[in-house]
Amino acid sequence: MPPVPTKIKLAGENDALTVQWSDGHVSAYPYRYLRDHCPCATCAEAKPEQRANPAALPMFGSKPLKPDRAELVGRYALQIFWNDGHSTGIYSFEYLRGLCPCAQCKAQEMAQ
Amino acid sequence: MSKDIHLQDVMKALGEVRFPGTDRDIVTMGLVRDLEVGYERASFALAFQASSPAHAEIAARAKQAVEALGVPNVEIRILEPAASATPRPGSRLIPGVKSTVAVASGKGGVGKSTVAANLAVALHLQGAKVGLMDTDVYGPSVPVLMGGDAQPKVVEGKIEPPVANGIKLISMAYFLPKDEAVIWRGPMLHKTMQQFLGDVRWGELDYLVMDLPPGTGDIQLSLSQTIPLTGAVIVSTPQDLALGVASKAIAMFQKLNVPILGLVENMSYYLCPQCGHREEIFGYGGAREAAKKLGFAFLGEIPLDVNIRVKSDGGQPVALDGSTPYGKAFHEVARAVVEQVSAAKGQEISIE
Repeated sequence: MPPVPTKIKLAGENDALTVQWSDGHVSAYPYRYLRDHCPCATCAEAKPEQRANPAALPMFGSKPLKPDRAELVGRYALQIFWNDGHSTGIYSFEYLRGLCPCAQCKAQEMAQ
Repeated sequence: MSKDIHLQDVMKALGEVRFPGTDRDIVTMGLVRDLEVGYERASFALAFQASSPAHAEIAARAKQAVEALGVPNVEIRILEPAASATPRPGSRLIPGVKSTVAVASGKGGVGKSTVAANLAVALHLQGAKVGLMDTDVYGPSVPVLMGGDAQPKVVEGKIEPPVANGIKLISMAYFLPKDEAVIWRGPMLHKTMQQFLGDVRWGELDYLVMDLPPGTGDIQLSLSQTIPLTGAVIVSTPQDLALGVASKAIAMFQKLNVPILGLVENMSYYLCPQCGHREEIFGYGGAREAAKKLGFAFLGEIPLDVNIRVKSDGGQPVALDGSTPYGKAFHEVARAVVEQVSAAKGQEISIE
């Protein structure tokens, strides 16, 4: 069985969401990184320059980004409600694990 | 040997400790929390999410496993349900329900509804607060199986479920004139499931048993994606054909990360009431073998008995009388389910 989260911490250290996985791995996702990788259709369609520049719409650029809350979608995904009002992204656990930015996971990804 | 203890080594050692009655280890099940290591010491918590007498034994084995690494000081804290109970995230639809158990099969006609109804009754007789949700919108059968002629009432915009044999029930059958059919497409089914969950006053329940329709379609998907199901019980008859299809249901739940609580073999054998001869009409033991092969628990076997049919049609689930062989069979299944739910609870995901 692929790894699933056992514990999700919205307010982890250094403005990151942390996930403890069933295989013992721990992932830390900086909020901005996670928000930029929102898998929803609207975000996936957004132009790269828009994504790269979150302050393009100044009204959303003022307060620091963070998740207000998150809910499980069944037992296969996480829906994050960001404080910028966006909440349509459903982060499946498989996708989330693939996003893990730690050196070990990135190295594995490169190797494949 | 170096006295510096490594997290990975401890995790690996703990990964060898199996949870009794399952093929899973305590790390995969997410029972191990807050692991810390230091000079000659390791400490962690075991977060059990339901009471079971097996906990002391698991802790002792976990301790042994870590000590075997040459760690002299191993400290284990045991978090029992009261201490480790966190609000179940994502289940704001049914906040008072502790565990949700889906009864499913790949094929129709294997006795899902009968198993679901009797499982609910047996759990109730064993002291739990139980609800039974008939999610088979096209072929609802729970009201007939459970008997009673109470109807749901609408109170302050919420549905008050009728109670039969001590169990709260909801079914599409209550909302349809007799002999009328539901001819709906998927989105309507999804809406109905959400209403059955969110608009019914389930109140505080230990178990909400869900009788699923056969197959791997809209309703199964809706449910598994709307609420974090505690687990699924797969019902099959012993012959290869039904088991082959049952494995499709298993594959679906695994895709959605819903734990499989185990397999129940229904119509396992026939005891002739005249001569006591045992006839294995559909073969015997197929589900037990399949469970073993797939690494799931085998929850029990239910005989094919005319009394089950007669009493089910009469609205008197046979599990009400635990002294008959068939009533006893359901109670044994219920006990096995409780054990597996306890194990599956450890896999629940916490959000904070």
